Amino acid sequence: MMSEVAQDEEKWLGAGIAGLQQNAFYMHRALDSNNLRDALKYSAQMLSELRTSRLSPHKYYELYMRAFDELRKLEMFFKEETRRGCSIVDLYELVQHAGNILPRLYLLCTVGSVYIKSKEAPAKDVLKDLVEMCRGIQHPVRGLFLRSYLSQVSRDKLPDIGSEYEGDADTVVDAVEFVLQNFTEMNKLWVRMQHQGPAREKEKREKERSELRDLVGKNLHVLSQIEGVDLEMYKETVLPRVLEQVVNCKDELAQYYLMDCIIQVFPDEYHLQTLETLLGAYPQLQPSVDVKTVLSQLMERLSNYAASSAEALPEFLQVEAFAKLNNAIGKVIEAQVDMPVAGAVTLYSSLLTFTLHVHPDRLDYVDQVLGACVKKLSGKGKLEDSRATKQIVALLSAPLEKYNDIMTALKLSNYPRVMEYLDNGTNKVMAVVIIQSIMKNNTCVSTADKVEALFELIKGLIKDLDGTFDDELDEEDFKEEQNSVARLIQMLYSDDPEEMFKIICTVRKHILTGGPKRLPFTAPPLVFSALKLVRRLQGQDENVVGEEALATPKKIFQFLNQIIEALSTVPTPELALRLYLQCAEAANDSDLEPVAYEFFTQAYILYEEEISDSKAQVTAIHLIIGTLQRMHVFGVENRDTLTHKATGYSAKLLKKPDQCRAVYACSHLFWVDDQDSVKDGERVLLCLKRALRIANAAQQMTNATRGGSGSVTLFVEILNKYLYFFEKGNPQVNIAAIQGLIELITTEMQSDTSTQDPAADAFFASTLRYIQFQKQKGGVIGEKYEPIKV
Amino acid sequence: MSSRRRMLLKVIILGDSGVGKTSLMNQYVNRKFSNQYKATIGADFLTKEVQFEDRLFTLQIWDTAGQERFQSLGVAFYRGADCCVLAYDVNVMKSFDNLNNWREEFLIQAAPSDPENFPFVVLGNKIDVDGGNSRVVSEKKAKAWCASKGNIPYFETSAKEGFNVEAAFECIAKNALKNEPEEEIYLPDTIDVAGGGRQQRSSGCEC
Ligand SMILES: Nc1nc2c(ncn2[C@@H]2O[C@H](COP(=O)(O)OP(=O)(O)OP(=O)(O)O)[C@@H](O)[C@H]2O)c(=O)[nH]1
Ligand SMILES: [Mg+2]
Repeated sequence: MMSEVAQDEEKWLGAGIAGLQQNAFYMHRALDSNNLRDALKYSAQMLSELRTSRLSPHKYYELYMRAFDELRKLEMFFKEETRRGCSIVDLYELVQHAGNILPRLYLLCTVGSVYIKSKEAPAKDVLKDLVEMCRGIQHPVRGLFLRSYLSQVSRDKLPDIGSEYEGDADTVVDAVEFVLQNFTEMNKLWVRMQHQGPAREKEKREKERSELRDLVGKNLHVLSQIEGVDLEMYKETVLPRVLEQVVNCKDELAQYYLMDCIIQVFPDEYHLQTLETLLGAYPQLQPSVDVKTVLSQLMERLSNYAASSAEALPEFLQVEAFAKLNNAIGKVIEAQVDMPVAGAVTLYSSLLTFTLHVHPDRLDYVDQVLGACVKKLSGKGKLEDSRATKQIVALLSAPLEKYNDIMTALKLSNYPRVMEYLDNGTNKVMAVVIIQSIMKNNTCVSTADKVEALFELIKGLIKDLDGTFDDELDEEDFKEEQNSVARLIQMLYSDDPEEMFKIICTVRKHILTGGPKRLPFTAPPLVFSALKLVRRLQGQDENVVGEEALATPKKIFQFLNQIIEALSTVPTPELALRLYLQCAEAANDSDLEPVAYEFFTQAYILYEEEISDSKAQVTAIHLIIGTLQRMHVFGVENRDTLTHKATGYSAKLLKKPDQCRAVYACSHLFWVDDQDSVKDGERVLLCLKRALRIANAAQQMTNATRGGSGSVTLFVEILNKYLYFFEKGNPQVNIAAIQGLIELITTEMQSDTSTQDPAADAFFASTLRYIQFQKQKGGVIGEKYEPIKV
Repeated sequence: MSSRRRMLLKVIILGDSGVGKTSLMNQYVNRKFSNQYKATIGADFLTKEVQFEDRLFTLQIWDTAGQERFQSLGVAFYRGADCCVLAYDVNVMKSFDNLNNWREEFLIQAAPSDPENFPFVVLGNKIDVDGGNSRVVSEKKAKAWCASKGNIPYFETSAKEGFNVEAAFECIAKNALKNEPEEEIYLPDTIDVAGGGRQQRSSGCEC
């Protein structure tokens, strides 16, 4: 629903339009019959509608536009009149008789434009006359519209370079003078408006003033369009005069808007060449003016200009734009003591963007801006204002985006100092941004020094800042963060093994400060990074590495041992066990038997002392068996000790089926295909038999508890092991044993107490099919299988 | 009266900031071009006399601010337009995407009686930039859009090089002329032959 005020306004506008149309109708009739006297009379009455004070600027503009359109017709009529011989001077005199001043001035402006066009008098005289006479209207809204009418009709008649109105008597100076004067008067009307009317309507008035702003700003646009306004004239006359007006009016709205206009309306080259004057105005503005926004807009424009053409760059250098802007910002911040930190940071952020655009090679400038920012922030502790924080993030992200290279940011001494002012949460956000930048650009961080600097920068993720752990943190977020650190660790790389080892040591130093929550994320990538280095060294000749080399496999393994040991503080024995086994395997490949043995010992200790969950034990034992099977570095004695223990663990698992499976897996520890020294058929058979006994026991247990026999799956699995070793030529595994096992399974399956297990049936069937298949193969294999009856 | 009215053709140029509205108008009216960007504030017109089928017309070309914050007074000047020019920069996708908004906004605000047939002309400007290598809106795409909006005439222009500007405005003038003027036929309740009009209302002060 429309408010009452708005309804009233509609009504008044309607009445105004009706009055205007009625008079226009008579005016048209007069025009059609060439009746000048009536034409003037009705047009004056028509224009009287513009005397209303009841309309808001928007509505008034509607009425004005209608009058404006009608006046174009009158203007054409005046032109025809002069062509018919009527003296324009007489016409100019004649319209002055209109009774009311407002209609009279509109008519004067209209005739005046024809007057100028006729060139019977110098344009400057007519213009001067008109702009003076408009003083007669002191009502702000009416005055502003009248003057904008004057500006509009004179727009194409200003004596400009190359215009038909340029002559001995008329120069660009006159045109500029005219527009400046009109601008000054309009600004005064506009500023004065706020003091008129009751105080309670202040808000409404401010809104109306804001609507009217373009009428004032338009003059600046006109000035910018005058071709004769070259740099010289802009510098000497236009800018100082406009700024004088802006500063002296002491009005917040006007100052903010007009500064914006100046920046947008005049060309970039002019701004560059007059930076000092322009910037000099900022500290003189009212403290309430949002200087940072306007100043930011200026820098944004200049940045775009620099980006748009390479030819512009020398100009920037020549006028020392950076120094001037930097200086001006300092002054503004100094002058506006109450400026919130966010405002100051916004300014620095804009200046930084400018610098990155205009002087990408000047890292010292970038650092200077950051340094100035640090100065502003210092002594205030961590930032709490969220807007300021956001601005800082923008400020710190800008160099990363520009250079696409964290290395550059690492060279900025003030970069980490700015980060200090971020609260812990934001500090982490920034650290993630840094890591993402590295990922995205595949940045190679290749020296220990750089890594040191980098970890200093992202320490928010690496350890608990202020020694407190943030309980508030979401588990998911934490994982996300730590995973990104893990990825980062994988990215650190140097071609030089020595340097790479230094990098690894640096990372270790930092991640060890991360505490038990972080280590499970950060230790594994570091372990693998070190293992990769070991692999690289394996390819190298020992002699080349030299005596004093730090990065020898032995040293790295020592180091690895320490890292994994640190995980015991977490504790996370399952992870540590896996890592020990990985290391053991790497030591195996490096031919370091004692080292490999040591890692196994560590893994066994963990298994015995720390891993108590039965499921975890099963997983661990299979890992142990698998790794041990692949080891070839061990001599008989070491190997025996380790396999002995592994079989021992297997037999002691909690559940019978787990025991059974682990034990038959152990059979592989005694028979390794590609190692001639490890082919102990007897012990293989011992394992298998033991597995069978356990399977039997398991079967009986289920019989006892459920009153039926359990699944035969375990037997079929063992049968498959038999077949494997049979095929591999283990002499202990013979036809009779296999045959016996097949029969056992068949009987078990046929007994009516046995539980139905389709999976086991299928497994058995396919095992038999395999035997059948091998038999039919013929040749050596076929012969071997031949005696087995299925 | 209608004859007088018909001598004046009102044209409005709309489009995003920086597409070259002011440049196009200056090129057409003054045959001048500047590389400098000077934002337009509010609305502003230039006039140009054009001859057409032996008759002389005044083209009143309204250039507007593409930046919203420089259009504080609203768009009352749309009223009575005979043709609306929609300009975009062939090198900036967003400026093309926005044509639809400009067109709709114009139709809502100017409220012509026959919106379906109101004459528009679309100009794809700055085709000179980078020898055409940086353009992102193809002629085909632009023409397809124009076709979908009731066969709007389409021109590719360069205000900088004056390319096609004259031809475009000729078409604009022609279409403006074709547009049936929307004269609000006004008939006073009683035709007062003596021409008294109404009493001056007493609102407003004495100025
Ligand atoms: N290369 C090239 N540049 C152009 C062309 N037309 C305009 N420009 C440039 O583009 C910039 C913007 O042109 P304007 O005419 O001021 O743009 P506008 O649409 O009036 O912008 P607003 O007044 O903000 O709405 C200026 O720097 C012009 O020099 C053209 O055809 N080719
Ligand atoms: Mg413009």
